[in-house]
Amino acid sequence: MIAVLEKSSTLHWLGRQLFNRDDPAAFFDPLLERVNPMWVKQYTPARVAAIYNETSDTKTFVVAPAGRWKGFEAGQHVNISVDIDGVRRNRTFSLSSSPLQWQTDGTVTLTIKRLPGGLVTNWMHDHLEPGAVVGLGDAFGDFRIPNPEEPALYIAGGSGITPVLSQLETMAASDYRSPVTLLYYVRTQADIIAAEKLRALAARWPAFTLKIFTTDESEPQLLCEDHLADVPGLPARRCYLCGPKGLMDLANDLLYRRGISEDRVHSTFFSAPAATLDTDSLGGAVHFERSNLDVSSEGDAVLLEIAEAAKLSPRYGCRMGICHQCSCRKTSGTVVNRLTGKASGPGDESIQLCVSVPRGPVSIDI
Amino acid sequence: MKKMNETQLKELEQDLDTIRDQVLADLGERDARYIRKIVRLHRTLEVGGRVLMPFGFIPPVFVAATAALGISKIIENMEIGHNVMHGQYDWMNDPSLHSQTYEWDTVCTGDSWRRTHNYEHHTYTNIIGKDRDYGYALLRLSDDDKWKPAHSLQFINYVLLSVFFQWGVGLHELESERIRRREISVREKIPFLKDFFRKGGRQAFKDYVFFPLVTFPVAPVVLAGNIGANLIRNLWSSTVIFCGHFTQDAETFTEEECEGESKGHWYLRQLTGSSNFTGGKWVHVLSGHLSYQVEHHIFPDLPAHRYPEISEQVQAVCRKHGIPYNTGTFAKQYSTVLKRILGYSLPDRMRNRLLPEFSNPATQP
Repeated sequence: MIAVLEKSSTLHWLGRQLFNRDDPAAFFDPLLERVNPMWVKQYTPARVAAIYNETSDTKTFVVAPAGRWKGFEAGQHVNISVDIDGVRRNRTFSLSSSPLQWQTDGTVTLTIKRLPGGLVTNWMHDHLEPGAVVGLGDAFGDFRIPNPEEPALYIAGGSGITPVLSQLETMAASDYRSPVTLLYYVRTQADIIAAEKLRALAARWPAFTLKIFTTDESEPQLLCEDHLADVPGLPARRCYLCGPKGLMDLANDLLYRRGISEDRVHSTFFSAPAATLDTDSLGGAVHFERSNLDVSSEGDAVLLEIAEAAKLSPRYGCRMGICHQCSCRKTSGTVVNRLTGKASGPGDESIQLCVSVPRGPVSIDI
Repeated sequence: MKKMNETQLKELEQDLDTIRDQVLADLGERDARYIRKIVRLHRTLEVGGRVLMPFGFIPPVFVAATAALGISKIIENMEIGHNVMHGQYDWMNDPSLHSQTYEWDTVCTGDSWRRTHNYEHHTYTNIIGKDRDYGYALLRLSDDDKWKPAHSLQFINYVLLSVFFQWGVGLHELESERIRRREISVREKIPFLKDFFRKGGRQAFKDYVFFPLVTFPVAPVVLAGNIGANLIRNLWSSTVIFCGHFTQDAETFTEEECEGESKGHWYLRQLTGSSNFTGGKWVHVLSGHLSYQVEHHIFPDLPAHRYPEISEQVQAVCRKHGIPYNTGTFAKQYSTVLKRILGYSLPDRMRNRLLPEFSNPATQP
């Protein structure tokens, strides 16, 4: 019944007048979520249907999004939101299942590795249970299967396999005839994510070649010239890279030396956050999204001053962290609160410009 | 105001920052659960009140529906809207509870409130000439304004302001007194007025047109109940707010003494310019914990339900520094507010004779 507030523009207008909010349907959320959390309108809810262990530090979460979720293409990511100790945390993960699975049984999977010190990934591993409801954003990202069909090479490392899994499943199901090779780099045999699924794919899909290399076992097998030399017809292949930064840099370099042009190489990043935190690391590149402006900052300059120096005029008040006139959204990057010295999370959240100092690259929604 | 040197002020600042840091470090699940419970209560009361109102032709139902809707508006304005817009729950990262986008169920727009209240009033608290909340440019409440014969009728103004409080708050940013003095032109206020009419129109449409119309056969009942609910909210919020800064011992300040002030001095001014009142748990919830105005003014962006928990510590800091902590029963505090409004409506000589507690040595005969 409440859904009509979203569908009809007249009722949406009326809802805005009556409930003083741009998403009037969400006015009833506090009551509805007590009855059924899947009825919430503020975000798209998704219920955790099952959780599987992939490796000792990686789990696959099968979730069923509410009917209004718009779907995705193989290789895209989504933002997941979870409430941890009262704080809503948003993080981006790749979907590891194929769109076909969502079309047939209404579920998608997220394959998530624990990040050392990572708040959200560890919480999901330790506290998320089947039956729980999380928020699921719209899918985004342009890491997509070649269309029309072309020979392809995937180079994946560790948990970077997740968007690749989604694409391979989709290609296998659509009877993809061009040769597809996956070079998958993992630390040890025990770290192979979705090992069974990959081997099953290799067994039933003739165009697919699977090669798994272990980098931390007796004979370290790091990505090298020879691994690429063994890929037949490499110059004709579209290349997809996903994994830790070191692997991606190396792969880019090797492909470049083999004369593969940049526009045929697609990458998606999955780098772990910097582990070392020293106070000299303050400052960084600041991207003001709505103004489409990039500036750099040094030392402990706060974002309000940085924005003003860039001739922007964000709303502000006391300039001492009291009045929250200058609160706005940080979409990515880490900031340090000048008053408390505490660092923020890396994701989408609200910050006070007048007391927030960037630490590394930061994007702000002003 | 109590005189303190910069070293003492620095120590005061550190003492209060310690309390603040303890609360900040402890924010989490408990606070999220609290505000969500209050939001649920608001939704239940509003939905309940609106659904019952058409049956208001039965007198006890009318009373229940009007009370439910009135209390729902009070909770939404005081414990949710006012506090959320202060950024008390920004750390939750919940878009529905975000200070800069929240819009409340009253005539004043969220944006106007954030400018005039969060910024002006909370930064320049009780500085005569800078804090326009001191007397709302309508009432003479201290010697800083010279007495004029028109002031003798200000109690009527006070009653009218309380009855139409949401409209008064909504028009606060118009700065009509400055327009009258020709310091600013009406033209400058056109963007403000557009927002005012949009939001005021929306509020009036909802309570006085839409809900009566959809219940057409009983429209007069619904209209009367909605007017009653708004009136209940207006009277209560006006009363709570007047108790916050206009009690007998709440101090005022001059621009000169606050120029280039330190954080410690700002804290001192908040402590001495605000006043609390005591009461049961529900009195505090319905006042949005502005019954802890002192705590609110030193820590405007800490979740308000924490104020009762830190009140003892704040009082200890006040005792340590010899700063008065202004509190008393609701009846006692409100009676001094009424005396102040009446007292300053009189010429100074008469006031000094009738209400010596509001006498100022400078104006003694």
